[in-house]
Amino acid sequence: MSEVKKLRVRLTFPQELIKEPVLFRMAKKYDVMPNIRRARVTDTFGEMILELEGLEKNLTEGINSLRQQGVVVELIEGDIIE
Amino acid sequence: MKYVKGLKCRECAREYPVEPIYVCEFCFGPLEAVYDYPKIKRALSRKVIEKRPKTLWRYKELLPIDGEPQVGLDSGFTPLVKADNLAKFLGVKELYIKDDTVNHPTLSFKDRVVAVALTKAKEFGFDTAACASTGNLAHAVSAHGAKAGFNRFIFIPSTLEQSKILASIVYEPNLVAVDGNYDDVNRLCSEIANKYRWAFVNINIRPFYAEGSKTIGFEIVEQLGWETPDSIVVPCASGSLLTKVWKALKEFKEIGIIKEMDTKIYGAQATGCSPISAAYKQGTDVVRPVKPNTIAKSLAIGNPADGYYALQAVKESGGAMEDVSDEEIIDAIKILAKKEGIFAETAGGVTLATYIKLLKEGKIDKKDCTVLCITGNGLKTAEVLDGKTAEVYHIKPNLSSFEEALKTINEKKGR
Repeated sequence: MSEVKKLRVRLTFPQELIKEPVLFRMAKKYDVMPNIRRARVTDTFGEMILELEGLEKNLTEGINSLRQQGVVVELIEGDIIE
Repeated sequence: MKYVKGLKCRECAREYPVEPIYVCEFCFGPLEAVYDYPKIKRALSRKVIEKRPKTLWRYKELLPIDGEPQVGLDSGFTPLVKADNLAKFLGVKELYIKDDTVNHPTLSFKDRVVAVALTKAKEFGFDTAACASTGNLAHAVSAHGAKAGFNRFIFIPSTLEQSKILASIVYEPNLVAVDGNYDDVNRLCSEIANKYRWAFVNINIRPFYAEGSKTIGFEIVEQLGWETPDSIVVPCASGSLLTKVWKALKEFKEIGIIKEMDTKIYGAQATGCSPISAAYKQGTDVVRPVKPNTIAKSLAIGNPADGYYALQAVKESGGAMEDVSDEEIIDAIKILAKKEGIFAETAGGVTLATYIKLLKEGKIDKKDCTVLCITGNGLKTAEVLDGKTAEVYHIKPNLSSFEEALKTINEKKGR
């Protein structure tokens, strides 16, 4: 059984996706609730710091779909393994 | 006595009390320790420091603890070696090696950050210390944690080589090998850190842990006779060390320990994992995550938590970033050993090779007084030199066999 989880992530969007509603589509399709805390968008890149909340299975599938579209999804902690 | 005022978000400047937290609840920015500098200025002077034992704790007012040091009481204050042979070889005026290959007890700069992290963990009342690491950090948490009486959990990817495991498991922590790639291990550790009340040194204790790196900067200044060098070359993994060395110099100026500070900070990365250097070269503030592919495993952080801040420190100081190939790293390890008798791990090779490259590019002046931060011992990454060292002369146990070998040796040297 999948449980509800929260995940704090940083999304980096490539230039070609800046104008696309990538996050909204993912949130709707996988029933994931995004809670945006910080964002920076310029002509050449987009960066967003947010929390995603949803069933673990949906979170995993939603993040995978973002990655497949070319969005870089990383934990806000950065790489923990040092 | 207490010299830390609290924690502060590096993004939105929101303030928090001193607690085992690491991220701003509002903007998810990283938290950093904030000090009462006027109070430190009254308490700390060159004279006070000079009277204390030669460990990293001689600067304790500038470290984020409330009481007395409890862990790593023999760590730090490593030699600042005047590298005259290497300076002559490279044609530079004045060069020093900050030699953390001999840090106590686990032979890397991680002894500094873990000493501070676990002292703070004791103050917070934690009984369990944890980290995720493939090398130096695991060794330091395992060893310091053993001495300090912590229950320890060390997480490693299950693919980690046996040689790397040994230097942790000998201290008998709970060593947990996680099936999965680096992303999986990172995500699991984040979940564990948020669920269990443990001191995860580089997650919930990170604001305190990272401050330990400042002691490299403090020591460099003191060991140069209370002078700052013209340039310092620092290896970059998460970018934290570089930002803290820069912070150390600024703090010494803030509290009047030094009057002038005109040091440039240079960041060194391996080309196979150079997200910060790439951002610098592209002239952007965005550090894009990469998949590491380099022999410099201790610097192989593809998504550096402090990459942005390291970039800002480099720019603010007027320094630069550069990166070097695996081949250049090996060559530099050998040059450092041959010229200065110091055996550095791959990160040390990265630092020296980057310095050589920056000299060639004219970004560091040959007349500069430069300090290279050599952060770990070569015995930890000895395998990278397999088949790349000088040859061994095998002889029979008689004089003629030896003399034959001697002839070969002398011919090689052109005598």
